[in-house]
Amino acid sequence: MSVRGPRLEFAVGAFLLLALASLLVLALASTNGKFSFGAHSYPLKARFTNLGQLRTSAPVKIGGVVIGNVADIQLDPVKFDAVVTLAIDDRYKDLPTDTSAGILTGGLLGESYIGLQPGGDEQALKPGEEIAYTTPAVDLIQMVGKYMFGGGGKAATPDATSTPPNTTPSTEPTP
Amino acid sequence: MPFIAATRSLGRAGLFSLSVLRASTPTRDFFAELVREIYKIGARSLPIIAVGGAFVGLSVTLLGYRALETYGASNQISALVGLGLYRELAPVLTALLFVGRAGSSIAAELGLMRATDQITALGLMAIDPIGKAVAPRFWAAVICLPLLTGFFCSLAITASYFEAVHVIGIDSGTFWQVLKDAVDFRNDFLVALEKSAVFGGTAALVASYVGFHAEPTVEGTSIATTRAVVNASLLVLMFNFVLSAFLFGK
Amino acid sequence: MTPDSPAVRLTDVRLERGGRAVLDAIDLVVPRGSITAVLGPSGSGKSTLLAALTGELQPAAGTVEVLGAPLPREMRALLQRRKSIGVLLQGNGLLTDLTVAENVALPLRTHTDLPRAVIDRLVAMKLHAVGLRAAADLYPRELSGGMARRVALARALALDPPLMIYDEPLTGLDPIASGVIMALIARLNASLGLTSIIVSHHVHETLPVADRAIVIANGRIVFSGTPAELQATTDPLVQQFLRGEPDGPIAFDSAARAQAA
Repeated sequence: MSVRGPRLEFAVGAFLLLALASLLVLALASTNGKFSFGAHSYPLKARFTNLGQLRTSAPVKIGGVVIGNVADIQLDPVKFDAVVTLAIDDRYKDLPTDTSAGILTGGLLGESYIGLQPGGDEQALKPGEEIAYTTPAVDLIQMVGKYMFGGGGKAATPDATSTPPNTTPSTEPTP
Repeated sequence: MPFIAATRSLGRAGLFSLSVLRASTPTRDFFAELVREIYKIGARSLPIIAVGGAFVGLSVTLLGYRALETYGASNQISALVGLGLYRELAPVLTALLFVGRAGSSIAAELGLMRATDQITALGLMAIDPIGKAVAPRFWAAVICLPLLTGFFCSLAITASYFEAVHVIGIDSGTFWQVLKDAVDFRNDFLVALEKSAVFGGTAALVASYVGFHAEPTVEGTSIATTRAVVNASLLVLMFNFVLSAFLFGK
Repeated sequence: MTPDSPAVRLTDVRLERGGRAVLDAIDLVVPRGSITAVLGPSGSGKSTLLAALTGELQPAAGTVEVLGAPLPREMRALLQRRKSIGVLLQGNGLLTDLTVAENVALPLRTHTDLPRAVIDRLVAMKLHAVGLRAAADLYPRELSGGMARRVALARALALDPPLMIYDEPLTGLDPIASGVIMALIARLNASLGLTSIIVSHHVHETLPVADRAIVIANGRIVFSGTPAELQATTDPLVQQFLRGEPDGPIAFDSAARAQAA
């Protein structure tokens, strides 16, 4: 502790520089780099009959590229479907009005995200407008159950609370 | 009644904390003290944080790999390590290491200052001892702990990289890409730093309070040091739960 | 603050610690420019008296006047008054992270707006007055006990206070260092026109430099007068204290804990 004046200041300066540099490297190399703090995004709405595992801040992607995230999820008390508010980056302002939205999963254990498929219309979706064409999430367990034990049985509209009519399918880890 | 005594004790601690904040004035002398304290509690804590971080990175990687391998998802290992580190392990473990090294030294130094009449002398020279001795240590801790947490993470992730890529055999590109996709800058990285700042302030206040009010004897100093480490560690763990529930509760 | 008003005047002061009266019915007048020795056995309340003089302890009864005015109770005014009272503490109280020069400069830097160069000169002067100009860049842990005490003295004198209080200045010092300190106290008191109050139980080192002496025992002042009168007193308690006899009014076998001396 007998470090004196100028040497002390040098040591502290070096410590601070090193620490800030390592924070910078960490931020760049290990995070998703979403540094923008502001709302440089505009909202779009979409209705789904089944969200599956979708949560807020899940990514919204076109062709695999992230263009926004899920800002809010609400249940419509009248029609009982889920109203999802998407926050789309301002750079992608010209999404055609016939764009479709689907809930997809990244791999077997991956998290859910919304994938958008742009259509061909010349008119663009304006902030706050609703995406007309949506596909609900696929319930994997139900589908597996249907194919393994069902045969002819048409599964009812996948319902979060109902279980398949036959024996509960065991989740065998897929190879 | 112990309840009343405990409440009064809490009240005293709260008032002490307020007086620390009030006594923090940006004078030249204050900055000189601040720089000195950053050296003492920040720079000198680096070795233990760095070594701790490296070993935690190695352990978590190994642990995570075994868990994920069962589901065939072992290439998600960097996501597990990254999220685990940023959200919980790095802020908490760095804070606990900090409490052990820097918290105990703060309590010991202040206890010693009390025992050698330095605090009385300051008062008699009409210099506020809290402003001179405690406030610089508080702000140094608030500044240093996020930086130390950053160090901890960088060493842990580096160690994890070596373990995952060179020992276990995960692909290097996958490692970084999965990590970057999983860790959100604002919700994970910045939150870790925010948590650390809170922990740093807490640790410093607890250690300062205990050291400042120690009995002016040699025994008093050693009792103060022990109490500081125990109480600060517990408070860090409590606040971690509160902060996590609040921030990640959604 | 007229030139003939006493430096310190205590009028019928009663001091309590923890509800118990430590000192009672204290009347004391310290003339300006004098060196007063406050003597007494351990635990007699000398430190309590000192605490009253610096404003740390509020009197339960009576008034404490320092430098012509009563000690203020309000913190800010009290802190202001403390700049006129220099205190040398038993533990020295030198800040361990600062050099000797920085320690002495501390009151000057905090309480004055003097430029750096002027402060450096003043510090050099104060250190020179105590004979430690060469130690300016040392840290307190590198100093011997006597040197540390002298640095603390220089620091106490930094703002040129008119009143100096010494709390057991000879504790832990060898005979030569003790002699140095007492010589400094006497010389500085004369050359700087200070008033000094020395609280001590080192009777034989303190009496030669003192102009007046008071003895505190059993919660009261049992003697007040010149050192010559003190040596000639017939009070058995004072005599036991002066001669360092193991038994007398203060018994060898300690009493049951009914009332401390």
